[in-house]
Amino acid sequence: MSLLQKAKMMPSRKAAGIHAHDKWGFLYITPFFTIFLLFGLLPILFTVYLAFYHWELLSEANYYVGFQNFSELIKDPYFWIAVRNTFSIFFISFVPQTIVALLLAVVLANPHLKFAMFWRTMLLIPWITSVLAVGIVFSQLFGREFGMINVAMQYLGLPQVDWVGGTIPSQVAIATMINWRWVGYNALIYLAAILAIPKELYESAEIDGASRWQTFIYVTIPQLRNTLTFMLVVGTIGGLQTFLEPLIYGGATGGDSRQFSTLTLYLFEQAFINGRFGYAAAIGIAITIIVVIISFLNYLGSRKIAGEEGVKS
Amino acid sequence: MKKVTRNRKAIVAVAGALSLAATTLMTAPAHAATTKLTIWSFGNVIDTSLQAEYLKLHPEIEIVIKKGDLDQHHSGLKNALYSNVQPDVAAVELSYMGEFRNYSKYLTDLNSLSPSATTIKDDYLPWRWDQMKAPDGAQLGVPTDVGGLAVAYRVDLFKKAGLPTDREKVAALWPTWDKFIEVGKQYKAKTKSNFIDTTGAIFGAVLNQGTEKYVSADGRLIYSTNPTVQRAFTTTANASNAKIGSLIPQYSPDWGVGMNKGTFATILAPAWMLTYIKQYAPKTKGMWDVAAVPGKGGNMGGSALTIPKKAVHAKEAWDFIRWYLAPEQQTKLFLDPKNGAFPTTVSAYENAKVVGYKDPFFNNAPIGAIYSQSATTLKPIALGNKDRTIDNTFGQALSRVMLGKQSSSAAWGQALSDIKRAVG
Repeated sequence: MSLLQKAKMMPSRKAAGIHAHDKWGFLYITPFFTIFLLFGLLPILFTVYLAFYHWELLSEANYYVGFQNFSELIKDPYFWIAVRNTFSIFFISFVPQTIVALLLAVVLANPHLKFAMFWRTMLLIPWITSVLAVGIVFSQLFGREFGMINVAMQYLGLPQVDWVGGTIPSQVAIATMINWRWVGYNALIYLAAILAIPKELYESAEIDGASRWQTFIYVTIPQLRNTLTFMLVVGTIGGLQTFLEPLIYGGATGGDSRQFSTLTLYLFEQAFINGRFGYAAAIGIAITIIVVIISFLNYLGSRKIAGEEGVKS
Repeated sequence: MKKVTRNRKAIVAVAGALSLAATTLMTAPAHAATTKLTIWSFGNVIDTSLQAEYLKLHPEIEIVIKKGDLDQHHSGLKNALYSNVQPDVAAVELSYMGEFRNYSKYLTDLNSLSPSATTIKDDYLPWRWDQMKAPDGAQLGVPTDVGGLAVAYRVDLFKKAGLPTDREKVAALWPTWDKFIEVGKQYKAKTKSNFIDTTGAIFGAVLNQGTEKYVSADGRLIYSTNPTVQRAFTTTANASNAKIGSLIPQYSPDWGVGMNKGTFATILAPAWMLTYIKQYAPKTKGMWDVAAVPGKGGNMGGSALTIPKKAVHAKEAWDFIRWYLAPEQQTKLFLDPKNGAFPTTVSAYENAKVVGYKDPFFNNAPIGAIYSQSATTLKPIALGNKDRTIDNTFGQALSRVMLGKQSSSAAWGQALSDIKRAVG
């Protein structure tokens, strides 16, 4: 994705039309498109087909229902709860995650930092940890009665929090799992972007007598605009797919009052627990539509940011 | 492009979910095994020491076990039955039998194998045997164990609370569920501690003391009108409102901690639950005892082993099942101090060793006598296609009551509309 963006920034080749030697290119891209066709396009088409059917695995009677799955979905309160949860979990994970990752990146970008390589590597360790392991460990930490976090809070004289039953606490717990895994990765991306900022900007800021904080706000952040937009796009798409963390945390319904049921989890529940594959396919299409809308908003936003930058430079 | 990533991720996620909580136990034999027998199960259906014994008898076999939790195991199995990659042996739990026994197209008719399942049929409790009989007459599974109901209680904690500790007297404390809740209140008032691990467990117990739960004998859905279901729901809600239970979910890590620390004094225990107690709280050995359940006896849980149609080693699978579930092995499992699953083989109920068995873990409670008496008096409950979905939905509703999020009647109403949507 970042490569793509860079490619877009490069001056486009004037030469249009396909030359003879370009035909070999098709051969090179064949493996990807074959796999994409089999595992990407066909499932997508089949999903669309399924969405118009009442479809159960191992059932003999699957029949066409038209738009019934969709009209049910619009009126389904649990679907809208899942929409709400997906976005609220996204916000309580994305915002702190970005702030912490930025701060970490600034610290790591400091040229006087000892063992810089070691710290950078350490940041990636959570990211390569299996989500399952993260989910299981955090579920124990957030346990209602004897979870370490509640025990620690009790020790500090704080009230006990129901990290599973409560809507906001449970979502905070899930956001914590997501953050723990992704902060380091994000920090590395920001670090790369910070290291790419021309030194001259910092030097002139220093000459102008800017404080560290001012340098961060007026030099670093504006220079990270593109990266921030990119992370927002990737983050929203990732956020809309939050699945395994809530599944491990509280099963397919996302808690007894669906307090942390997300969109993909609801899809999973309908398909693999209730066996309603047609309805689940309709949910899948709804997720796609939501992703398209969000991506479009992101696109508008990023164009605006890119435009501003153009004026400045 | 984004759609592609989404789908790919979904596939990865589903694959992850299937391996979630799934541990693959490989038994690597020192000798050259030629046949790899794949078994998909959950919980304690396949006992490791019996498995090792089988491998000793059959050096040519290697057993690969994939374990998942109850719902994940069954949804994974259903997907597998739809595809071409199938295990050689698959466990099916009672709450899923009503559904899986319809799949004679996807599961092997054991009567058609050689030797036919009819040759071993008489070894088993007839009603447990029939639970995996397909509507078309095919026999799709062999029953593993029977879960007669009882209550496991902590003798030391009962003593501290000034309650009787003798199992007969303890049982006399709670002839009915209302009395059980009363005793719970007394216990809580005296000790400030919880009486039962989770009040939610009462629902299943009361339900299984009836003769019908979600479907009638002739197959109609009666979950909303059946008085047994209503009684089970209100009894459980009453127990929750009386605050006699902890809020710890069963089988969670906290459950084990609570059991070891004595956070609760009782656990409703079908026979197989004894195995879990031994596993989760080995240090509490000798502190427990077992008493009769309030109300009358009932069966809760139990499984069956099946052979999917596309199993690669169907013959070896059938050999394994016949050996593993034979009367000798089932008896052995029950008498194993680490286990406690109660046999479905009728000869066991007259076996002096079984009937006379006293479990040292449970203060030498005569669990052989307790469970064999309940096994012989049990009556089957009509099974429905969607039993597990309904179980889970009522369970969530009762959990909302337990956490004080909803009143009993509001939770009941929401459960009924949720079930109606999911089941019809």
